[in-house]
Amino acid sequence: MSKLKQLIKNPRVIILIVTLLICLYAIRPNPWNEGVVIKAVVRNSTAHLAGIENPKQTLPPMAKEKIIALNNEPITNLKDYYEKLGKAEPNSTISLKTNKNFYKLGLADSLDLGLRVDEVPTSNIRKGLDLQGGTRVLLEPESNISEETFTLLLDNMRERLNVYGLADVIVTEVRDRPAILGGGKRLILVEIAGATEEEVKFLLAKQGKFEGKIANNTVFSGPDIKYVCRSAQCSGINPNRPCGKTQQGWGCGFYFAIALSQEAARRQADITQNLTVVNVEGEKYLSQKLELFLDDAKVDELNIGADLKGRPVTDISIQGGGTGISETDAVNAAIENMRRLQTILVTGSLPAKIELKRTDTISPALGVEFLKNAVLIAVLALIAVSAVLVIAYRKFSISIPIIITSLSEITIVLGLASIIGWNIDLAAIAGIVAAVGTGVDDQIVITDEFLHKGIVEVTRNWKEKIKRAFFIIMASYFATVVAMLPLWFAGAGMLKGFAITTILGVSAGVFITRPAYSAFMRIMFGE
Amino acid sequence: MGLKQSFLNAYDRHYKMFMLASAILLLFCLGFLLYNYATTGEFIKKGVSLKGGLTLTVPTDEDLDTSKLQGFLQKKLPGDVNVRAFREAGTVTAFVVEASDVGEDATVVALKEYGINLEKGKYSAEFLGSTLGKSFFRQMRIAVIIAFIAMAAVVFITFRQLVPSLFVILAAASDILSTLAVVSLLGERLTAAGIAAFLMLTGYSVDTDILLTTRVFKRKAEGGSIFERTVGAMRTGLLMSLTSFAATIIGYIFTQSQTIKEIMLILSIGLVFDIIYTWCQNAGILRWYLEKKERAAQK
Repeated sequence: MSKLKQLIKNPRVIILIVTLLICLYAIRPNPWNEGVVIKAVVRNSTAHLAGIENPKQTLPPMAKEKIIALNNEPITNLKDYYEKLGKAEPNSTISLKTNKNFYKLGLADSLDLGLRVDEVPTSNIRKGLDLQGGTRVLLEPESNISEETFTLLLDNMRERLNVYGLADVIVTEVRDRPAILGGGKRLILVEIAGATEEEVKFLLAKQGKFEGKIANNTVFSGPDIKYVCRSAQCSGINPNRPCGKTQQGWGCGFYFAIALSQEAARRQADITQNLTVVNVEGEKYLSQKLELFLDDAKVDELNIGADLKGRPVTDISIQGGGTGISETDAVNAAIENMRRLQTILVTGSLPAKIELKRTDTISPALGVEFLKNAVLIAVLALIAVSAVLVIAYRKFSISIPIIITSLSEITIVLGLASIIGWNIDLAAIAGIVAAVGTGVDDQIVITDEFLHKGIVEVTRNWKEKIKRAFFIIMASYFATVVAMLPLWFAGAGMLKGFAITTILGVSAGVFITRPAYSAFMRIMFGE
Repeated sequence: MGLKQSFLNAYDRHYKMFMLASAILLLFCLGFLLYNYATTGEFIKKGVSLKGGLTLTVPTDEDLDTSKLQGFLQKKLPGDVNVRAFREAGTVTAFVVEASDVGEDATVVALKEYGINLEKGKYSAEFLGSTLGKSFFRQMRIAVIIAFIAMAAVVFITFRQLVPSLFVILAAASDILSTLAVVSLLGERLTAAGIAAFLMLTGYSVDTDILLTTRVFKRKAEGGSIFERTVGAMRTGLLMSLTSFAATIIGYIFTQSQTIKEIMLILSIGLVFDIIYTWCQNAGILRWYLEKKERAAQK
């Protein structure tokens, strides 16, 4: 019993236990989680108007809002949710209870709430596309475009995919060479979980249609916008409407200039000719608003200044605002709103010729099977490895710490992946296998330094033994890490997941589990 | 224990024969790779993820005649077409169609003509443009070369002696090339996942070689003959390879994922070669080198 006490008091063992607890907290496993999780909210839909917010993609899966009751009836799973929603009458009001809030939704003719929901996650581990099914496409801009245009292209795609309320969309830039080597080719990676190839191609093939309408008459569309100012000279916080205190907190105004084509300016003059001027909060505006549509979905509306009435102006100033609790919040909100509007307005004027370079579609059925299968293999492999160890050492007790160490390493890698928001896909699983395999090898090296009498009989103290084992371990550790680094970049990050999980795994092993294992060996067999 | 003792005696006395055998094996594998290169222009056939093209994975429970289907598709579709069955624990669970020059739609139509109706969402499709595929391969090749050089640098820094470090690198390179030859011989195609597997293998291979070199070369002062220290290291090293092999072979047999299956196959083959090249080639050459140095020092 005193050995166990010694073990629990050992600082290396304590570090391992604390790390494991942190990782378990990060993973937050809960196989009994009930309800349906909100993956996305379509803008201006019933749900959006009721105050349900579109979840940030960066949110850990377990932190996303989940619906637990519909009309006061508890909801346990997806089937449940659709059954209960199906019973609701059109043009009625339904109530939704989530783990965060309570909402009342006024239904229109259809039962489409504009909510994209899914089964609740059972942990914070983000499953990669090949484990949950979906589509991944790699796009390449056809011509050489500037850094700024490229960023805008990315933002624009995000904004457009957002309009559709698609859940789990990832739009990122990937490069096929590290930045220090010139960056290489710039590619756009779009991953949409649960979407089919057709849906993604349909979304991306469209150039993106943008229209500005007044009283349902189209004033301008994408090509009519000749210029959208994004530099400090003609955009930013509006000097004529500086930040000020409001009833709820702070409010700030923004402005930016755009240039319209002559035809659009004339259309604008014709339409606004007959509008009346109204007074809103002390400012003079036209009676109709300018409504902005992105791919036929209304994304925003703006008041039109009274001075524009009937005048064919090509250079106009777009104005809006943002509010927040503090002045900084309000400034940030205003700037964010401005960026969003600029992104929308710029659609169509982008040199958006993009070429589809790669598509992968993984059927969801296959994905689920892969995951179950991976767990089965992990269990079988651990049994096989311990069998080999028990036979070799003729000691049953040896296999237990080695198995515990392997399980700890898996937990630590999954925990770290949850913390940094890394997806676990097949490549990552292969990386975990590599790391755990190296871990077992290292533990054999440690064990042999302790147990193995060998032909050469030399008595050493435990410190010497650990030092000797760690020489070999550190050498192979560095060899593995340097071998993984080039994979980080090659092939547009195709094997990045593998490289990252391997490096995470072997690092966790060398710095956390290996010291704990050698402490265990010293206490159990060393002295 | 008679068997073990007689093996150890033979290993001690005829270590140069063991070395020669591993050298012949290496030459044979290199010869095979060169023959491949001379006849097809590449050392190993590349899969779609490294040269571009289409991969369709269709789950099935019936045992399909893949060569018949392949023959049919080759007539129907342009370019290189490859069909194979995917087995899990011995039974066919899916078949895989790889085509170099056609899209998904044309392939689905051709499969329909053969009598296989594919339903959307029930199969997986991957497509990679050929220019991008080729550039992926080029980059992967560079990545592997950089990884190997970096690894060699780490080994050299560890031992601070050129010759024993070169032996480690030689053993790792022999392991990789021989595995590549056998994988090619089995008719497998190299994919991006396969490259990850080869890097993983290099890691495992270098592990055992570092173990050997540390015990035999770096701890000369601790007494015991070179052979005794080799045998001590071998017990540890063989156990390392055996546990890894047990895990990879189980992964190979039971996995449902083609990616994982390929990785496990490469690792399993590589681990067997690792045993040969570490304990016949590297151990032998190191002993030979150290004994020669000792003799020179005595003179």
